[in-house]
Amino acid sequence: MKRSLFFCLATVLLFSAAIAGAAPKSEDFYSVYSGELTTLNYLVVAAENEHSVIANVIDGLVEYDKYGVLVPSLATDWSNSADGKTWTFTLRKGVKWVDTKGKDYAEVVAQDWVDAAKYLFDKKNASLTANIAYAVIKNAKPYFEGKLTDFSQVGVKALDKYTLQYTLEKPVPYFLSMLTYVCFLPVNGDFLAKAGARFGTDNKNILYNGAYIVDNFEPQVGRRLVRNDKYWDKDHVYIKRLNYKYNKEASTLGPELFLRGEISSVAIPSSLIDSWMKDSAKKAIVRPAETSSYTYFYAFNFNPNFEAQYEPDNWKVVVNNKNFREALFHALDRRAAMMTAEPYAPERRLQNTITPRNFVNAGGKDYVDMADLAKFAKTDSFSKALALDFKAKAMAELAGKAKFPVKVMMPYNAGSTDWTNRAQVVEQQLENLLGKDFIDILPVSFPATNFLGATRRKGNYALQECNWGPDYADPETYTDPFVTGSNYNWPEKAAGYAQANGKTTYENMVDAAKAEVVNIAKRYDLFAKAEAYFIGEAFVIPYAIGGGGFEASKLEPFSYPFAPFGMSYLKFKGQTVMQRPLSTEAYNKLKDTWESEREEALKKSKF
Amino acid sequence: MIRYVLKRFLQSMITLFIVVSMVFLLMRLLPLEGYFGDGYDKLSAVQKTAALERMGLLDPWYSQLGHFYLKLARGDLGTSIIYRRDVPVTEVIAPRIPYSMYFGITATLMALVLGLTLGVFMARKKGKTLDRAGTAYIVLINAVPSAVYLLFIQLYGTSLFNLPILFDRYRVKSWILPAISLSLGGVAGYAMWIRRYMVDELNKDYIKLARAKGLPEKLIMIRHVMRNAFVPMAQYLPAAILSTISGSIYIESLYSIPGMGGLLVDVIQRQDNPMVQALVLIFSSVGIIGLFLGDILMAIFDPRIKLVKGEGAR
Repeated sequence: MKRSLFFCLATVLLFSAAIAGAAPKSEDFYSVYSGELTTLNYLVVAAENEHSVIANVIDGLVEYDKYGVLVPSLATDWSNSADGKTWTFTLRKGVKWVDTKGKDYAEVVAQDWVDAAKYLFDKKNASLTANIAYAVIKNAKPYFEGKLTDFSQVGVKALDKYTLQYTLEKPVPYFLSMLTYVCFLPVNGDFLAKAGARFGTDNKNILYNGAYIVDNFEPQVGRRLVRNDKYWDKDHVYIKRLNYKYNKEASTLGPELFLRGEISSVAIPSSLIDSWMKDSAKKAIVRPAETSSYTYFYAFNFNPNFEAQYEPDNWKVVVNNKNFREALFHALDRRAAMMTAEPYAPERRLQNTITPRNFVNAGGKDYVDMADLAKFAKTDSFSKALALDFKAKAMAELAGKAKFPVKVMMPYNAGSTDWTNRAQVVEQQLENLLGKDFIDILPVSFPATNFLGATRRKGNYALQECNWGPDYADPETYTDPFVTGSNYNWPEKAAGYAQANGKTTYENMVDAAKAEVVNIAKRYDLFAKAEAYFIGEAFVIPYAIGGGGFEASKLEPFSYPFAPFGMSYLKFKGQTVMQRPLSTEAYNKLKDTWESEREEALKKSKF
Repeated sequence: MIRYVLKRFLQSMITLFIVVSMVFLLMRLLPLEGYFGDGYDKLSAVQKTAALERMGLLDPWYSQLGHFYLKLARGDLGTSIIYRRDVPVTEVIAPRIPYSMYFGITATLMALVLGLTLGVFMARKKGKTLDRAGTAYIVLINAVPSAVYLLFIQLYGTSLFNLPILFDRYRVKSWILPAISLSLGGVAGYAMWIRRYMVDELNKDYIKLARAKGLPEKLIMIRHVMRNAFVPMAQYLPAAILSTISGSIYIESLYSIPGMGGLLVDVIQRQDNPMVQALVLIFSSVGIIGLFLGDILMAIFDPRIKLVKGEGAR
């Protein structure tokens, strides 16, 4: 009896020790994830899920520091030709490609970028990011399209072992920022040829030159990244192991796993944030999660293509009336809508412009504070008085031409609880304020699968919440959804905006801004004017930025690369795992310090 | 018997062909944007065409179908195009099957043993406390959505019994709760049906005769009632065991078990055609084999059942 009791106790103790041993230490980061990687072939993927690993295992020519300033990475120096079309990079010597065991394979050389480009621009490989690179590199697009077969004419050359040169179609002021993206990463050509179709299919079929190596990769089980001891900047990599466990219900189980000490960081879902905030112990370990550069806006559709029951012809008449658009523009209580996703501090995610604050700046001045855009940036669009005033004007102008109430078909994604709730909130709020004699908002649910294909992309909406993510660090990227050829809301079809050259006022303003490639401040100023015009004409209602919410995390904030776009912010370089999670108060103090340091850093930045 | 087997085999091949071909064609009717995920808007027309060409989706449908069957004849199930790009389908699926089968078979066996035992006692003690308690359990399991009680068991069970919340193949304790959770529905199902069939049998004349002849109750229950009551359930037993290959969507999601559960749904949503086709082929084959074995098992349990008409089939 005593022996069996002793044995039981010993077993329990052993298991307890094993479990206690699994609790995170400062050299280890633990997490759960629900989206498995489809591939590690970084030359073909475009999704953030894959980028979250790639950012940590492959370095590019430049990178962002923790203030969002571009700094050297695998390139130590660079120069730009007088015409702005030729960029020459001097590579860091002695950087190694290593395999999954950390064993040396080869040195990173200029030819690696040429080999990567050749793979990227071979359309048989179906890279989903090739267009970003071929949009700027000379002859890359005709090569990709098969109109040019001699790759030596494409503007990527290894002048010698450590000198790489890019020749562009035209000057691109934001070219350096593009180099942080996947389509500008190098690859060892020899390894790529040997791996063939298996390149990137698992952790053994890629090479590494970044801060970490994927030393374990079991799809639907987990993966582990370990610090690359041959990394050129290993002194700034503090977390030794990144441990990930797969779990389809990660968003549901994550908070519980964090409370048990099994993971180091978790996003608190909006369904749980209330209960966490009401519990003093949990509240003390919750902090705001960072916002992103994804922009959200409500788009008015100028190319309606929806069912007759929603009266598309009537919608087409009213949407071309600026007063009608202004009525909705000022009637939308964005704060109320945001509370469905961010019940605490909804203002953090609201924005009054399309381009987010902190995206780009010129000489320390934020883009959204430039030109006429500044007045929109500082002003909440919601105004009951203005909304009713525009309503009266619209009804007067449209009397006899349009039928009231106007049916406003508003699709939402039924797979998102927040969006479903928000659709109801927006419907009730707009109808209560403007009156059911003016509008009849009709939220229409669509399944998550192929949601955009069924709604926005084919014009099957009158008013819809849309979003856009930047492709490079320049305001031009936020004009892409609104130019001819895009499938967002077709503002080029709005009546009364065509100019003599056949383009709309907005497009001409954007073209003028794009043409300015030398004076960055002037370029941003022109883009700001175009964006201000676009918002002033109420083609869209700016709504929010992405990210946000709350998290419980032991990761030290503001210690990792900060970047307005791309994958730099996914890097663990520079990060540490603290012993305890930060509270909101402590986080806000750190943020204030970081913001003032960033302001100084941006002013001193050369790039 | 050989003729019967050959006939069933031929029927099965035709069924498989129809099912697989229909799924093949249905997948081709899905919108092309689904192959590209959220990044569709940013791709150029040339990129989209190149990607579709790479996936073999620009060929005429009959050409695609022909290539599929030619490869299948060579034992090649194809390569994943989206879910695990460029990885052979067999390489994706093979490591997952053992996990699903292990948990599934364990849960099925547990459900059989516990469910049949409970059902027998419920039938014997019909109307009494045990029967009522068993009925309450059955009603609870069937009425409450499994997503609710399974999550409850995971969160509170792991805390109460100090068990790991997530599955880890190297930690024996992490195998326990998923297997138990998976068996709960089966226990209720088997208990309910065996009780029902036994109650039906108990009311039949031959049982009254057996009692009148003075046979012991225990002998009547085991040799006659249970055996006859089990026959309709035996038909589905092989299918139940074989279908464990498809895994349990929710249990495997909750506990991070790298099994087959949810895989078909995932690959359909991602429009990974080779994966969908391979899984449909496997699951259809399993279903057909299960039904066939079920018929054989029934005939073994009940000699009155003839599989071939000429022998006086029922």
